Amino acid sequence: MGVTCVSQVPVAEGKSVQQTVEMLNRKLEQLGAVKQGNFCVDCETYHAGAIGNPGQPPKFLYVMHNSEAPLSCFALFENGPCLVADPNFDVLMIKLKSYFQNAKSNKVESRGARYQYCDFLVKVGTATMASSARGITVEVEYCPCVTANDCWNLLMEFMQSFLPSHVPGVPSVFGVKTDGVYSPSDTMAQYLELFSKLRKQQAATGSGMR
Amino acid sequence: MSGGPMVQISIESACEKQVQEVALDGTETYVQPLSMSQNLAKLAQLIDFGQGSASEDEGGEGEARGQEWGKQEQEEDEATVKFQPSLWPWDSVRNNLRSALTEMCVLYDVLSVVKEKKYMTLDPVSQDSTVGKTPPVLQLLGKKKSLATAAQLLLKGAEKLNKSVAENQENRRQRDFNSELLRLRSQWKLRKISDKILGDLSYRSAGSNSLQGRFFPHQGTFEVIKNTDIDLDKKIPEDYCPLDVQIPSDLEGSAYIKVSIQKQAPDIGDLGTINLFRRQLKPKSGTQPWHLKLEAAQNVLLCKEIFAQLSREAVQIKSQIPHIVVKNQIISQPFPGLQLSISLCHSTGDKKNQKSTPDKNKPDDHLYVLEHNLHQLMREFHKQTLSSVVMPHPASAPFGNKRMRLAGPMAYDKAEITSLQQSEGLLEKIIKQAKHIFLRSRTARTIDSLASRIEDPQIQAHWSNINDVYESSVKVLITSQGYEQICKSIQLQLTIGVEQIRVVHRDGRVITLSHQEQELQDFLLSQMSQHQVHAVQQLAKVMGWHVLSFSNHVGLGSVESIGNASAITVASSNGEYSRNGPESGCKVMVQFPRNQCKDLLKSDVIQDNKWNYLRWPHKEVHWSKMEGRNFVYKMELLMAALTPCP
Repeated sequence: MGVTCVSQVPVAEGKSVQQTVEMLNRKLEQLGAVKQGNFCVDCETYHAGAIGNPGQPPKFLYVMHNSEAPLSCFALFENGPCLVADPNFDVLMIKLKSYFQNAKSNKVESRGARYQYCDFLVKVGTATMASSARGITVEVEYCPCVTANDCWNLLMEFMQSFLPSHVPGVPSVFGVKTDGVYSPSDTMAQYLELFSKLRKQQAATGSGMR
Repeated sequence: MSGGPMVQISIESACEKQVQEVALDGTETYVQPLSMSQNLAKLAQLIDFGQGSASEDEGGEGEARGQEWGKQEQEEDEATVKFQPSLWPWDSVRNNLRSALTEMCVLYDVLSVVKEKKYMTLDPVSQDSTVGKTPPVLQLLGKKKSLATAAQLLLKGAEKLNKSVAENQENRRQRDFNSELLRLRSQWKLRKISDKILGDLSYRSAGSNSLQGRFFPHQGTFEVIKNTDIDLDKKIPEDYCPLDVQIPSDLEGSAYIKVSIQKQAPDIGDLGTINLFRRQLKPKSGTQPWHLKLEAAQNVLLCKEIFAQLSREAVQIKSQIPHIVVKNQIISQPFPGLQLSISLCHSTGDKKNQKSTPDKNKPDDHLYVLEHNLHQLMREFHKQTLSSVVMPHPASAPFGNKRMRLAGPMAYDKAEITSLQQSEGLLEKIIKQAKHIFLRSRTARTIDSLASRIEDPQIQAHWSNINDVYESSVKVLITSQGYEQICKSIQLQLTIGVEQIRVVHRDGRVITLSHQEQELQDFLLSQMSQHQVHAVQQLAKVMGWHVLSFSNHVGLGSVESIGNASAITVASSNGEYSRNGPESGCKVMVQFPRNQCKDLLKSDVIQDNKWNYLRWPHKEVHWSKMEGRNFVYKMELLMAALTPCP
C-alpha cells in the first residue's frame, strides 16, 4: 500500500471526455507505462437516519468499493470516520434498509485503465453518474512509501510529466494525518471528495441550464 | 482389596472401670477395682454355705459324706461341740481335697512301682492273638471300600470344581469379547448398524474428505466379527482372540511409497531412494492381531490417497517437461538427465519378496532430509484440508485460509491476497525439493573435486548449518597455504536455490549461475587464477615493492578458454620488474636494468651512462625449478632475492 493522490483533470478544450482520456492513456504509454488491466471505484449513497425528522440536515453514508482491494468495502461519512469491512457489509446495508435508504440515483463510479510504471501505479478513469460521463479522475500511487508528506514532491514531479499543465495541490487528507502513515481509507476519502464535487457541479450546471 | 479408599477403623477398649464421678474440669474418677482379697470376699459372700448340694448324685454323696462326716462328727462332737455338720461350709471342699489326695497317693505309688521295681512290677495283660484278627481278604475289601468312599467324595468335589471352572472360563470368554471390543473402540471408530458392527479406518476425521478427497471416496469401513469357531475341548491357541476384523479386499496387505531420484547421465551421481510410510510392524507382546491388521490397512489407504493426489496434480499442472503417470508410478524430470520417480508399492497377502529390492541401501543413498520433508509435506497436506473447516470460525467467514478473513478489513490488494493463498500443489513442492537437493549435492561435488584436484590456491567451503528446504548457502574461500592473512581477497558467498546458484563476490559483484555444473567449475577456476594475482599485489605491499599496473582482465597474450587472464607488474625499489600472468599457467618475467645483464654486447651507441639504467627485455623465470611450496611462496622468494640489499 502506497501513497495515493487522486485528482480531477479538466476536459481538454474542444474535446470530449473520452478523447481526453485517450490522450492521457497514450501519453502514459509513451512514457513507458505498462497497462495492467482495468480498475473501478464506485460510490453509493445512503440516507442515514429516518427522514421524518425535520430541521435536521440529512446525513449521508457513502459505501464505496475499490477494485484495488477486491475483498473490501469502505463505508464513510463526509469528513468523518471511515470503516473498512468485508463484502458482507453490503448485505448488511440491505438488511438495514429501514434505517439506511439507498439513494440509487446518486451512484457514481469511475472506470478506466490501470497502468504500472516502475514504482508508480496510475489509473485514469472516467467518472460517470447515471451513465453519463461527468469528469476524468486520475489516481497516482507511489507504492514503496507509506509516509504521505515524504513523497509528495516526488508525486508532484511525476504528475507534472504527463498531466497537461495542471497539477493538483496537496490533498487535504495529507494534512490531517497525525502519524503521517497513509492508509487505503484516505484514498477513498479523496475519491469521495472528488465525487461530491462532481455532483455539485452537475447540480450547478443542471440548475444553470434551466 | 482393589481400589477403594482405606477406611480407618478405630478400636477402643471398652471401659473396664466404671466411672464414679466426673469432675468439673472433665477428669473422670474411676471406681477402683477390687483387690484380690476383696474380690474373694465378695464371691464368698455369694456362696450360700448353709444350703446343701442341689443335685441327686451330690445329694447322695453329700448324704454319704454327711453320714460319714456325721460319724466322725459324732466322734468329734464329743471332742468339740462347736462343729455342726449342717453348718460346716467347707465340707465339699474338704472331701474333694481328700479324694485328690487319695488319687495323688495312688499315682505316687504307681510311679514308684514303675520306677523302682523293688517290691512290685508292672506286667502287661497278655492279649489273645486270635481274638479280633480278621482274614486279609476281608481287610483288603474293607480298605477298598473305605478308599472307594473317600475317592467318591473327592471325585464329587472335583467335578463340582471342574464345572465351576468351566463356567468361569465360558464367562470369561464371553467377557473377553466385550473387553476386546471395548479396547477396539478406544482406538478405532465403531458404530453399530442393525446387528453388525462397522468401523471406519479412513482419514476422514483428519481432513482428507474435503475438496481433494472428493476424488478418492474410499469408505474405509471394516467389520467386526466374533470369533466363535473355537473348540472348548481343544487347547486354546496362544494368539487366540475372540474378535476378528474383516477389512475391504483392496486394502489388504501392506503398501508404501517409494521416492527415488536417479541419474540418467554419467556425470551426476544417483541420489538415492527413500521409502515412505514403510513400517515393519513388529507385533509387540500384547498387541492384538486386529490392531496390526487395521493399522496396515490404514497405511495402505493413506498411501493410495496420497498417490491419487499426486497423480492428479501430475496430470493437471503444466511444466516444461510433462510428467508421466504410468499405472502406479509418476515419473518426472526436474532437470535434464535427472529422473524423479514416485511409485506406490503395494504387496498383498503373504507373498514375500516379489520384486522388492532388499533393504540394503547404502547410508549415502538415504536422503534423510528429503524423507523428513516429505513426511512433513504429507502431514501438512492433511492438516491444510482440515484446518479450513475447523471450528471455531465466524459464521460469516469464507472457507479457506484464516488470514484471508483479514483481507477485507485490512484492504489487502491483489498482490497480498495472492501471497496468502497457497497455490503450490504437493507434487510441485516435492519436485522443488528434489531439484534443490540435487543442485546442492552437485555443487558440493564440484567444489570438492576442484579442491582435491588443484593444490596451489586452496579452496575452502564452509556450509551453513541452517538451511531452508529450497535454499542452502555456502561460503567459499580461496587462499594460499601459509599466506591466509594477506591474501583474503577472494571470498564468495554462494546461495543455492531451486534452479540457480547466486554468487556474491567480496567486491560486491552478484553473479547468477545456472544449474550447469560446468559454469560453476569455470567460474571457480577463473577466481582461483585471479587470486594468484591478487596475492602478488598484497605481497608486494608487504615486501615493499610498488605495484605499477594491475589488471584483472588483460587483453594481451593468448586467449584463455575460461575467463580472462590477469596480470600484475611490480617494481622493486631499485628498479627490477616482475610481471606475471597466471591462468593457463603462471608466467613470471623479470626485467633487469641494462647494466646488470651480463650477456650484453658492448656497443658504442650508448653515449651517456644513464642509458645503462634502462630496462632490458624480459626474461622468463623457470617457474617449475623455483623453490617453494606454492605460487605465493615462490613469488616471495623471488622478490626477496631481487630486493637490493641496502
